[in-house]
Amino acid sequence: MSSSTSRQLSESRAIPTRTVLINDTTQLPHDYCTTPGGTLFSTTPGGTRIIYDRKFLLDRRNSPIAQTPPAHLPIIPGVTSLSVLTENGRNEANHLIKPYNSHGKTATGEDAQFEMDI
Amino acid sequence: MATSEPVSEIEKASEPEEPQPEIIPTAPPVVAGSEQYIKHPLQNKWALWYFKNDKSKSWTENLRLIAKFDTVEDFWALYNHIQQPSKLGFGCDYCLFKDGVKPMWEDDKNKLGGRWLMTLGKQQRQVDLDRYWMETLLCLIGESFDEASDDVCGAVVNVRPKGDKIAIWTGNCQNKEAIVTIGQQYRERLSVPIKLQLGYQSHDDTSSKSGSTTKNMYSV
Repeated sequence: MSSSTSRQLSESRAIPTRTVLINDTTQLPHDYCTTPGGTLFSTTPGGTRIIYDRKFLLDRRNSPIAQTPPAHLPIIPGVTSLSVLTENGRNEANHLIKPYNSHGKTATGEDAQFEMDI
Repeated sequence: MATSEPVSEIEKASEPEEPQPEIIPTAPPVVAGSEQYIKHPLQNKWALWYFKNDKSKSWTENLRLIAKFDTVEDFWALYNHIQQPSKLGFGCDYCLFKDGVKPMWEDDKNKLGGRWLMTLGKQQRQVDLDRYWMETLLCLIGESFDEASDDVCGAVVNVRPKGDKIAIWTGNCQNKEAIVTIGQQYRERLSVPIKLQLGYQSHDDTSSKSGSTTKNMYSV
């Protein structure tokens, strides 16, 4: 052993992590809560519950996925209609809504969005 | 050290000689790539409902499913594209419930339950309503109440001329421990002013009340 009495601190290094893209929950490894390289999300002991804290959830609000309205979002005037989206000013993807209505018209026209609930 | 040229020659030379191990072409279950396109699964699948008070229709006819989601990103995709509660008409509700639970007292999962009720003053509609509702949604989808989250059925916001209401519904009004846990943590998340009391009322008492007030089974 070295005769030196002074101890040398080892260099600190970040824990190596890797990023994986999950397209579907079925792709999650069965032991995801113990994945080396960082957990995807936290769980209660035993890994029985998927818990997200407030900050994490809020950070995901600007995900590119969240900028497009859900497919088949029903047109409800004043709730999901195009005027609402403009008012919220969240994004420019308003035209991506896949509208449907009982007349089979597209809802890209100004008045089509009010044809539901007749 | 070897330069790049000899290395490439060795690689070329070795190709025909060394039999390659059989490569089974399986698509990797996870793909390394852009983190921003990850969808984060939720513990539960949730359904968002919209209720519009149209007197010419029955209560159930006025209730309409907007969408279901089971990832964080799909939640925001919905939330980012619907109206805020403060902009809804009077008599309208949003209800967020676990998939399979209807947002009504009569549902099997609700009939023995009750709700933590927060009543807001008219002046709070522009200041607090949307903020409180979003916090409520985040509490639910993030499973903020630990084990007590299992008791949660959903949440409702009522937009009313006299004053708006936000409530978290739970499944069994006798589960005191879970209910109190939910109430305390909910109160903390919303930073409810100390002078304001949150009360829990059973649906049974709410539906059979004679006056304008329902007694609180629990309060925090």
